[in-house]
Amino acid sequence: MTRFIIQRTAQMVVVLFCISIFTFLIFQVIPNGNPALRLAGQAATPQTIAAIERQWGFDKPIYVQYLDTMQKILTGSVISYSQQINVLDQIKRGLPATISLAGGAAVIWLLFGMALGTLSALRAGRFSDRVLAVLSLVGISMPSFVVATVALYLLAYKVHVFPLSGYVSLAQDPWQWFLHLVLPWFSLSIIYVGFYSRVLRSNMLDTLAEDYVRTATAKGLSRRRVIVGHVLRASLIPLMSLWGLDFAGVIGGGAILVEVVFNLNGVGQYAAESIQTLDVPPILVIVMYGAFLVVVLSAMIDVLYVVLDPRVRLTA
Amino acid sequence: MAINQSQPAERLPRAGGVGPLLLDDIVVDDVVPGIGHYRLAARRLRRDRTALLFGLLFILIVVACLLAPVYSHDIARIGPNVNNVTGTIKVDGHTVDVVSPDGIPVGPTWHARYFFGADTNGRDVAVRLLYGGRTSLAIGFMAAAITMIFGVAAGLAAGFYRGALDAVLARLLDIIWAYPAVLLGVAIGTSLALGGLKIGPLTIEGNSIFIPAFLIGFVYIPYVAKPIRGQVLALREKEFVDAARGLGCGSVRIMVREILPNLSSTIVVFVPLIVAGAILLEASLSFLGAGVQPPNASWGTMIQSGLPLLTTSPQLVLVPGGMLVLAVLGVNVFGEGVRDALDPKSQIRLGR
Amino acid sequence: MTRPARTSRRLAAGAALSALFVAFLAACGGSSNSSNPAASTSTGVNGGTATIDMASAPDSLDPQYGYTVEAGEADWITYTPLLTYAHASGVAGTQVIPGLATALPVVSNGGKTYTLTLRSGLKFSDGTPVTASDFTYAVERMLKLNWGGDSFFTQTIVGASAYLAGTATSISGITTNDSTGKITIRLTAPYGAFDNLLAFPSVAPVPAGTPFTNEPTNPPSGVGAYIIKDVIPNQSFELVRNPLFASFHIPGIPTGHLSTIKVNIITNTTTEAEQVLDNQVDNFDAGDTVPAALLSQIKSQAADRFSLQPVETTYYFFLNQSKAPFNNKLAREAVNIAVNREAFQRLAGGTINPGCYLLAAGLVGHPTKPCPWGTLDSADLSKAKSLIQQAHLVGAPVTVYGEQVSPVEQWVEYYAGVLKDIGFDVTIKFVDGSTYFPTVGSQTADPQTGYSAWAEDFPNPVDFYLLVNANSIQPVGNRNRSYVNDPHIQSELSKLDVVPTSQLQSVASQWSALDYYVASQADELVFGYGTAPEFFSDRIDYSTAVFSPIWFNDWSTWELSK
Repeated sequence: MTRFIIQRTAQMVVVLFCISIFTFLIFQVIPNGNPALRLAGQAATPQTIAAIERQWGFDKPIYVQYLDTMQKILTGSVISYSQQINVLDQIKRGLPATISLAGGAAVIWLLFGMALGTLSALRAGRFSDRVLAVLSLVGISMPSFVVATVALYLLAYKVHVFPLSGYVSLAQDPWQWFLHLVLPWFSLSIIYVGFYSRVLRSNMLDTLAEDYVRTATAKGLSRRRVIVGHVLRASLIPLMSLWGLDFAGVIGGGAILVEVVFNLNGVGQYAAESIQTLDVPPILVIVMYGAFLVVVLSAMIDVLYVVLDPRVRLTA
Repeated sequence: MAINQSQPAERLPRAGGVGPLLLDDIVVDDVVPGIGHYRLAARRLRRDRTALLFGLLFILIVVACLLAPVYSHDIARIGPNVNNVTGTIKVDGHTVDVVSPDGIPVGPTWHARYFFGADTNGRDVAVRLLYGGRTSLAIGFMAAAITMIFGVAAGLAAGFYRGALDAVLARLLDIIWAYPAVLLGVAIGTSLALGGLKIGPLTIEGNSIFIPAFLIGFVYIPYVAKPIRGQVLALREKEFVDAARGLGCGSVRIMVREILPNLSSTIVVFVPLIVAGAILLEASLSFLGAGVQPPNASWGTMIQSGLPLLTTSPQLVLVPGGMLVLAVLGVNVFGEGVRDALDPKSQIRLGR
Repeated sequence: MTRPARTSRRLAAGAALSALFVAFLAACGGSSNSSNPAASTSTGVNGGTATIDMASAPDSLDPQYGYTVEAGEADWITYTPLLTYAHASGVAGTQVIPGLATALPVVSNGGKTYTLTLRSGLKFSDGTPVTASDFTYAVERMLKLNWGGDSFFTQTIVGASAYLAGTATSISGITTNDSTGKITIRLTAPYGAFDNLLAFPSVAPVPAGTPFTNEPTNPPSGVGAYIIKDVIPNQSFELVRNPLFASFHIPGIPTGHLSTIKVNIITNTTTEAEQVLDNQVDNFDAGDTVPAALLSQIKSQAADRFSLQPVETTYYFFLNQSKAPFNNKLAREAVNIAVNREAFQRLAGGTINPGCYLLAAGLVGHPTKPCPWGTLDSADLSKAKSLIQQAHLVGAPVTVYGEQVSPVEQWVEYYAGVLKDIGFDVTIKFVDGSTYFPTVGSQTADPQTGYSAWAEDFPNPVDFYLLVNANSIQPVGNRNRSYVNDPHIQSELSKLDVVPTSQLQSVASQWSALDYYVASQADELVFGYGTAPEFFSDRIDYSTAVFSPIWFNDWSTWELSK
């Protein structure tokens, strides 16, 4: 186990290192991508541009710039180009919104996914199963930003059921926090609900065919007890691991589109804005942070798998 | 159900926002390629009316988009990029501005010209819908081709050679996989849209649709390569591979002639998934300004540019949005039918 | 300034992000409710709080860094420079008045020496006394922070460019005396608009010792009606009244009525407009654009608290004369004839006014004659086509550069369509907002034609004529993107450049003759002038609120309705 953890950690470091280099390089190939040009404004004289290059170290070799930036990231002192504010502070400021969004949505998609998945597994082959199947596939086929925008238009502009947009912190006003997040939660969840219900349905059908379930039924347990006590529980393990990863993905920047539409000012929106302004330091930090979450969670889930299911071999 | 237990992480699909799709596990043991297997699958598919219906829907959409020039030339009589900002048209006997002085375009006329209304530049939405569909579908197919070629090649090589090559490829795939998908897409899309791409003698202009196609195809590679690798690991231990080796066949020949045919059903199952995911990802990237570059239309760019006028001209979003959902739904439902038909036990992860 | 408006770099970003954010660039200046009394000083209701929605955050609230319109709105009432603009709407608001200086500068030495005296008894909001050398400190800090308009100063003040380059430790052209408050500035050459330069908040005194780094979250103390505090980047900031300011009794500068002004950054202009319409928020920031989809509703439901104020921003396409095909005057004429300028207005949802002259309507020197290229709401495609044929340019390749932001995208697509119609082989190249101007302003891209916009830095035609001044051609950051190098323009400019802003009216006819000449040479394809929304909730007294042609909404004149 210890060896496994060490191995995974080493891999993680390699992956994060490569991602940081790759991200840094992407923005070097852009013509006129020299950040000094953007910092200097449009009417800048060559003299001003030279001064900025000197100040920010853009005149140094690329690997020196990379090392400088990474050092600043690791010591927490990295400053963005466009607004020149501390990137980590800015991300910390965005985290509550992103976590609220991702957490709430993850609960919603898990609950709804479970309910719909169980329902269609129980009704497998019947009409209601087909309807649910098509509905889940419709959910999977809709881009989240279209759902978000249409929901915003109908339920906030047309009918003033929900506030227009923005984020209110939980500590400040729990009820407003909730109201402001209802639409984002559902816009983000729909696709996952569709997907989770499909996965759960097929997991449950597989489990239903297993011997021990048949044994349980033969013992005379009620169908409901068999389903809830055995089938659902067994089918949930792979679903939960999936859930962990998706949650990491969403917190790590996967909710960009929804955050942007609802102006939640979370980490995803910060990432989107930074990309638009080709602001390399925040992009670098957010990408690495997102990748970090995904890599760490997937490693943790691997470990969890071992704990839950000893049949799984540990190969890295 | 047989569980491929070699790599737990492989069985874990992941999100990251856009469109991952992961093969959960496919039972390879009994899959013997050949007429029998596919004939059986075809028979199963033929019985699945829902799948066929949605497959037909998708084909209809493809055909309609292919016929875009005919519609544009003979029915609407207006090109996809023809601006008409200050013009007027007759609707039911009234003369109306195509674009009002406040910038609001005319709504659906339900006539040959401006059937679905006009966009902000006075262009025919119906014509652009079909032309945009060509772009979106082309990106979907191209991306799927790129993903399949590279994904299968990487999976094959990693699974077959194992060792150092496998380790290197696995890390490369991890990198793509751990990179937040939308961020990766937007970052590369933004940088390439400005400068284009130069690979040796090949130059791709910044506004070429090859860029989003390449990008999207690239993002999905790990989702194909990882499960393929797992399958190859199992297949390379089979007797027929040993037999081929015994006959003195080279590695490449074994991979192409012996192993690849055994992967065919997995590949067939993946194609519709990637196509659907790619069309959706294109829309997301266009929404963030990193997808198809104007004036080329795609469903994604049409939705994106229509959003500000959602309140006054909802058709600008609903028409391309509806078409997008229908096309993706068609592929998804048909794809699920194909999957069930090929291997009723397999599960595949569909992306967002 | 070259960018449509000191409009934030972020604004463009936001707009491209979601099309919902129809943020587009508006600019400075404009005439307004002429009924407004100039600078109503401390009468009316005092106290209360107003909230403002802004679609894009200021680039920085630090006066020596902030360059966007959003920054200017907050900074000009927080950091009073030596000179400033009258707090009045319309043309009256373009007048330069003494700020922290006792009077307008005494100009000597043939226009090359400016002498001012600092008012006595001034204190920064933190209580530190203001000294004359704090002005020098601010200029140095502005240069070292690379303020967006720093070239105005490096090109005029003796020793400023050496200081920026690091070859001098102080600016030799500025001398101050802290005990008498006397400030002397030497210029390299007479420059008529120098009074205007002294009215930028970027040279407003800040306490000596303020770090030489941009302080976006902790802007320095200033001398002004308000104090900026609680800055949360990209989210919100507040202005609270400066209790010290009223005691300075500076004539013509309001001391503020509201006790607090709260600004929220909200990237979605649709939401922003809805909130003001519903009176949940008190002001729609003037730097933002009202979404076309809501414009008619707002016009009908809020007619008494909404108007579009014309501002001095010129929107145009540059036509690069240094290379084919626009080195041919016939080609430039053809495009000027072939576009329908009203189309651009519609594409912008009615938020620009059509025009064909470089000098925006409302500026001294804007020609009153009809356009040389026909009426503004028509186009003559067939004549344009024949000009292109005559010039043997049919099929000539043209790449159009455009900024990827609404409505520029729509404008560029329309313009490209017109170019195609008259016979060119057209390719469009869209560039993301943050890199667009650096790209088209660089010699490596050397574009043939593309979108551009100019928002006034100060109300003097000199500022706009940087665009066609041969001296402003430079390899990067080029403002003369058409590469106009015309001896007639140069000789006229050498005469007009030195005319002091206060005497502009005396040369109005020369300016307008020159501007007509530039239009008839088809040096640029000008298509319109900007507007900015003045949009309040009914909580704010619309009649006393000033809309400055330079800095837009004058927050220091706002008071709550009685």
